[in-house]
Amino acid sequence: MGGSVDGTLAHNEFVTKQLHTDPAWKGFRLMSRSLRYLLAIVALAVIALGAAQTRINVISFSQGFAFPDLFGSSGTEKSDRLLAFEKENNIVVNMEWGDESAVRQKVLTDLISGTGRYDVILLGTDGAVQTYGYAGFLEPLNAYLESGDFDAWFDLEDIYPSIIEANTVEGNVYGMSYYAFGPGMVYRTDIFDRYDVEVPTTMVEFEAAMAKLKAGLAADGISDVYPLTMRAGPGEEPSLDVTGFVYAYAGYPAWFEGGAATVEDIKANKAQPDFTGAFRPGFEAFVRLAREYGPPGIATHTWVDMMNLYSQGKAVVLFPSAINAYAGIGSTELAEVRDNSAFAAVPVGPSGKQVQSFWSFSFGINAASRNKDDAMKVLALLTGHDALQAFADMTVWPAAPYASVMRSDTLINRYGEEEVLLNEEAMRDSETHYFPYIPELADFMFQIGTATSQAVSTGDVTRALADLQKWAVETMTAAGYYR
Amino acid sequence: MVSFARRSARFPGVFLAPAIITLAAIVLFPTAYLLYLSFRHWVVTRPEKYFSGLANYGLVLGSSTFWHSAATTAVFVAASCLVTLVLGLALAVALNRRFRGRGVIRALVVLPLLIPPVVAGFTWRFLLNREIGMLGSWILPSLGLNASMLADPNLAMVSIVIADVWSRTSFMFLILIAALQSIDMSLYEAARIDGASSRQEFTFITLPLLVPAIIVGLIFRAIEAVNVFDLIYVMTQGGPGTATQTLSLYGWRVAFTSFDIGRGAAIAVVMVIFAIIGTTLLSRRVLR
Repeated sequence: MGGSVDGTLAHNEFVTKQLHTDPAWKGFRLMSRSLRYLLAIVALAVIALGAAQTRINVISFSQGFAFPDLFGSSGTEKSDRLLAFEKENNIVVNMEWGDESAVRQKVLTDLISGTGRYDVILLGTDGAVQTYGYAGFLEPLNAYLESGDFDAWFDLEDIYPSIIEANTVEGNVYGMSYYAFGPGMVYRTDIFDRYDVEVPTTMVEFEAAMAKLKAGLAADGISDVYPLTMRAGPGEEPSLDVTGFVYAYAGYPAWFEGGAATVEDIKANKAQPDFTGAFRPGFEAFVRLAREYGPPGIATHTWVDMMNLYSQGKAVVLFPSAINAYAGIGSTELAEVRDNSAFAAVPVGPSGKQVQSFWSFSFGINAASRNKDDAMKVLALLTGHDALQAFADMTVWPAAPYASVMRSDTLINRYGEEEVLLNEEAMRDSETHYFPYIPELADFMFQIGTATSQAVSTGDVTRALADLQKWAVETMTAAGYYR
Repeated sequence: MVSFARRSARFPGVFLAPAIITLAAIVLFPTAYLLYLSFRHWVVTRPEKYFSGLANYGLVLGSSTFWHSAATTAVFVAASCLVTLVLGLALAVALNRRFRGRGVIRALVVLPLLIPPVVAGFTWRFLLNREIGMLGSWILPSLGLNASMLADPNLAMVSIVIADVWSRTSFMFLILIAALQSIDMSLYEAARIDGASSRQEFTFITLPLLVPAIIVGLIFRAIEAVNVFDLIYVMTQGGPGTATQTLSLYGWRVAFTSFDIGRGAAIAVVMVIFAIIGTTLLSRRVLR
């Protein structure tokens, strides 16, 4: 160690004197102690903020099932891929999981309060995209997608156009799909063969097939296997399927007079709700099939019940939201279900159009987010091609919005090319606008589903539709459509 | 020198302020905000927001769905309170006596109270499921009841009452057994000396002395039953159709699926008024 103690003290004294004569130092000494502390805290905060990463909050359901490549099978880990993304982009991705209903409500609460708590939010194409899009709560993604900055993530040529269409409101793309499904019929080939039932191509044939299955099962004394499983619980769930029936029977989205399906059409034509008119045949067919061939508890059933019944071998046909059967086939412990299930295109209704059931599990950006650019990067990570391929590889679900993922080896090897192509066709050729795209869509979906549940449980279609019609007229009038 | 006690007496507000501020923040502010919202037109799907006076209340009280939900709520509250009272009283009287294993049985009776209503709802939903539930698909059909408990509009209400009673009877039991244990045993001894039967002891001593506890229990149960949401939501979502849609579910639906925040708030305010009127009448009539 060099230098003496005396020398060091002298040096310190010199420095102190110099400091004391410095005007800036004098000013600092004049400050109160609290002010000095405050300045120090502010300085530290500025330094900390400069160094901090941007935190992007994401909210979703399906913990452990969705994004297994990023958050592991528990939904709480961070994979190397995610960590590398975070490091490269100076972003921290914070995923919040929850039950689907709870997530939907949290999203709504965040959107209406404008807090921007969640940057990347769960959306569905059965109401959220439309309602929130019209209300201005969502950030349009068009500019990002057209900028070319995200070409490495999204190949728009590879994504089925129907997926983009379903997530678009008035020209604005509000959501990118994680998975999606079109209509289909999954059935038990062994039971069809046993009762000599052909795969139906029309709804008339479908009803005949159901009758034959019911009679065959009854003749064999089988009372705990039902010819059909669908969903008819109250709330928005059955509406995707019921309105798909309505479309197939009427040939158009028969909610409003003349098939008006946009805000402009309804206003221009002062189109009144038509639930007691053209809507009825499809609705009635759904209720009839549910009551005659479905399980006894069908008026409360959701997609979970459909999936469980099919996976437990208690249903011969799952229709028209076929994706729920795939969920059941993937989890079943019964070899006869796993080995004897097949997918078929949905039958056509009297109008010549197919029954519909289309849904996209999408994510969008909260318009109140304070970090939209970074949120878009996270959205790209979550819904880009690589994430969807990883999802398909891990879950083997034929529900990818990308043609290249649908035709990947994983899915072809599991289901065979024919079945994969049928699934692709169902998604690609879906009429995604088989229900109106209006701001009130989420509310209508809920009411239609509840009316379905009521009609299925009571058998009184007339009363259920009369109530629905009355509610719809009041709602559309209050919303100012007929001024 | 002024003592601390005297200084405290001079400025009580200073010492009460933290409690008042906390109370205001967590109770008064949300209540006032709810009231404020109920006077505003605020539908998420429409751009305009404005003060609308009593319009939301007019819409709510003029809606047949509201009155249908109010009637459903009344049925649920009455049935649930009545059955929990009868069962809770019976259990309290039975378990107030000394016998071997009483502690274990008491613990078992209290157990459902510890189970969250959501879990209770799921449990009953699976039990009553007509296709795969132990009760719904096996025991009830073997007794000749083939209908689906949850999918039948009338039986669905019975189902949620059963689940609620199972979950909350222990609450009534706890209140009543505490009250039973506070009754002076000398009253029974005197009655027995006078030759009173067990039934007379119950009718003329136990029941009259339990009335205050019964009223308190009923008030708590009624408030709880009016506000029950999770159990019904999990079991039936208010269905089939709207057969089990109580006011709390209706209010949630209006706010979260119709996106009509003002009307949802008005429903909540009306529910509070109903609850205040009901409990005040009940307590005044019996406790005066």
